[in-house]
Amino acid sequence: MIGALPVAIGVAAVACGGEAATPAAPASGGAAAPKGAPIKVGASVSTTGSNGKTGLYQVEAYKLWIDQVNARGGLLGRPVEMIILDDESDPTIGTKLYEKLINEDKVDLVMGPYSSSVTQAVSTVTEKYKFPMLAAGASASDIWKRNYKYIFGVYSVAESYFYSVIDIAKAAGMQTVAIVNEDTVFPKATAAGTAEYVRKQGLRIVFQEQYPAKATDLSSLITKVKAAKPDVLVGGSYQPDSILLTRQAKELDLNVKLLAFSVGAAIPEFGTGLGKDADFVMGPSMWEPVLKTKGNVEFVETYTKKWNREPDYHSATGFAGGQILEAAVAKAKSLDREKIREALSSLDIETVLPGRYKVDDTGTQTAHIAVVIQWQGKEKPVIAPDSMANGKPKLPTPEWKARP
Amino acid sequence: MVAASVTGLAARRLTSGYTAAMVLLGVGVSLLPLMVSNYILTFVLQALMACALAGSWNLISGFTGYVSFGHAAFFGLGAYAAGIAIAKAAVPAPVAIASAAIVAGCAGLCLGYPALRLRGPYFAVGMLGVAEALRVGITVAEPVTGGGRGLVMPPQDVLLPAYFSMLALVVLIVAITRAVATRPVGLRLLAIREDEVAAEVTGIQTTRLKLVAFATSATLAGVAGGIYAWHMSYIDPTTVFAGSLTVRAIAMTMLGGQGTVFGPVIGSVVLSVIGEVTWARFPFLHNAVSGALIVVIVLFIPRGVTGVLQDRGVLPRSRTL
Repeated sequence: MIGALPVAIGVAAVACGGEAATPAAPASGGAAAPKGAPIKVGASVSTTGSNGKTGLYQVEAYKLWIDQVNARGGLLGRPVEMIILDDESDPTIGTKLYEKLINEDKVDLVMGPYSSSVTQAVSTVTEKYKFPMLAAGASASDIWKRNYKYIFGVYSVAESYFYSVIDIAKAAGMQTVAIVNEDTVFPKATAAGTAEYVRKQGLRIVFQEQYPAKATDLSSLITKVKAAKPDVLVGGSYQPDSILLTRQAKELDLNVKLLAFSVGAAIPEFGTGLGKDADFVMGPSMWEPVLKTKGNVEFVETYTKKWNREPDYHSATGFAGGQILEAAVAKAKSLDREKIREALSSLDIETVLPGRYKVDDTGTQTAHIAVVIQWQGKEKPVIAPDSMANGKPKLPTPEWKARP
Repeated sequence: MVAASVTGLAARRLTSGYTAAMVLLGVGVSLLPLMVSNYILTFVLQALMACALAGSWNLISGFTGYVSFGHAAFFGLGAYAAGIAIAKAAVPAPVAIASAAIVAGCAGLCLGYPALRLRGPYFAVGMLGVAEALRVGITVAEPVTGGGRGLVMPPQDVLLPAYFSMLALVVLIVAITRAVATRPVGLRLLAIREDEVAAEVTGIQTTRLKLVAFATSATLAGVAGGIYAWHMSYIDPTTVFAGSLTVRAIAMTMLGGQGTVFGPVIGSVVLSVIGEVTWARFPFLHNAVSGALIVVIVLFIPRGVTGVLQDRGVLPRSRTL
């Protein structure tokens, strides 16, 4: 095989005596320096390949969490180090790497990879060795339909991503919906869940179609959507395709009253890449920097300082995964993986993510709340749910030609 | 020519020594589970899978020169045939793998019949299209295949049985290749590679031969896919129809020597080691490094390691190598 043994992007466990400002560091300014043999946490995340860009946010968040854990005294008083490998966005390599982490590197704990398909594949390996794993980068609900006991969701399942967007559309009196999605694991789950919810809410689906991954031209799809004349267009998408769809919608003058995309729309690059054309586009987000969740201000601050760029929601889910693991180890008071598993299934805590962490019997996340953002100028205020909103939805979306 | 120095008894000794080394390699790999961790086993299992793909590709493309860029199609079909059999009908693994062989083999026959009428780049590109069309087909046939969400099978720990099945497949492929290479049929296939019209004129039934070789190659790739699905217990179209599977098979075969018995084995061993080193040294560049390596092979050692060693007189020109 080309691409055999991985390189450990080792994160050194620096036992710094609590100098870094961290949310949970005691006010007296100095947690006891962690002592003893380091606890090893392993993860494989896609940092190259098709999901490399998004995966990198998750890696950065893991590393930040490790810094902070060590600064506040480590886990169980021991320093923590993390071994992060790259699975090249390939599930086959992912399974090999978790075998390596568990058997070769003898890690004590694992964290989840990025993307639903890699998580789906490696969860079989972690299940085999009875390693509890937080899926900090995956949300397709199929993952929790296999009766696995050791995999836990961190954020909302893909199926529920657009619920609030549809609610907004319904409240604004819109009636017809078109759904397009990439034909891979996560976008499909998103589209399927949205379609079901649309019907339940009494709206009508006038068009639904998939497009291949890595598509570079979606103009024929846009033309078909245009012919169906929907009020709402929902895209089950990743980053590149959401930008492509918006661009081609403008070129072909496709006008809808509400345009929304998964993943892509919530990423800062959507606004920088599209400029004014990003305006009015909505998207579900698992987290936003403006949210007043526990420790969020510090998280954004320390992250931006360490990595010289703002975190996106994939950073936040990765970071929350770390927070949850930390809480579970504290609750289990040991590295016994059965006890940690029990802790993970019964924990009910706050993280930087909106809502709470709490899972049902299958390990599916139930208490996280996805928010909706809308691009307005260069900002993307949260417009739903009301309790967390810092802006109001601007509807309907004006026609392309009517824009300045 | 130096080659002349390797003749008679010496040549025979060298040949049997070389074969013995390969047998030893096989024995070593089969004893590995006693010595190493599950990670190394998973790694070797995936290397064996690449070797099986290279070996099966060699059977058609290495011998007849019909370079297929769509070999992953049969791997993917086999994976889905076995996957569906396991997920929907809960059949035991041997039955699932047998169905992978049958589906991939039949597909090889049906596709080979028209496709093998194309020559050179037309065939190569045609097969590329076939693989892509099959990937889309599997994605669209959602009720049966799970579509883009992937196909989930009940989880089972089958690392060891999968490991030995893949090893057995590689041994089988080497045995078939050796049987072909040492019999007149091997020469006929090579004749097609050198000059198909001339081969036809000498009375070789080129169409039938090509079709049989193609279907055999497809069947073996399908079995590899079946074992893969069984081991992973989760497959998705993007992964099992990936073009990179084909590219690796081609690179390994070319490095080891096309149309030779052990070439694909040598190629996969060498590329595995190189992959290991480049990945450790250049984590973000290793794909580029492997790509550059393929260019170097094509430019400087088009006949592969085996060919070079034979030209230099290190190895005799025996067809059993």
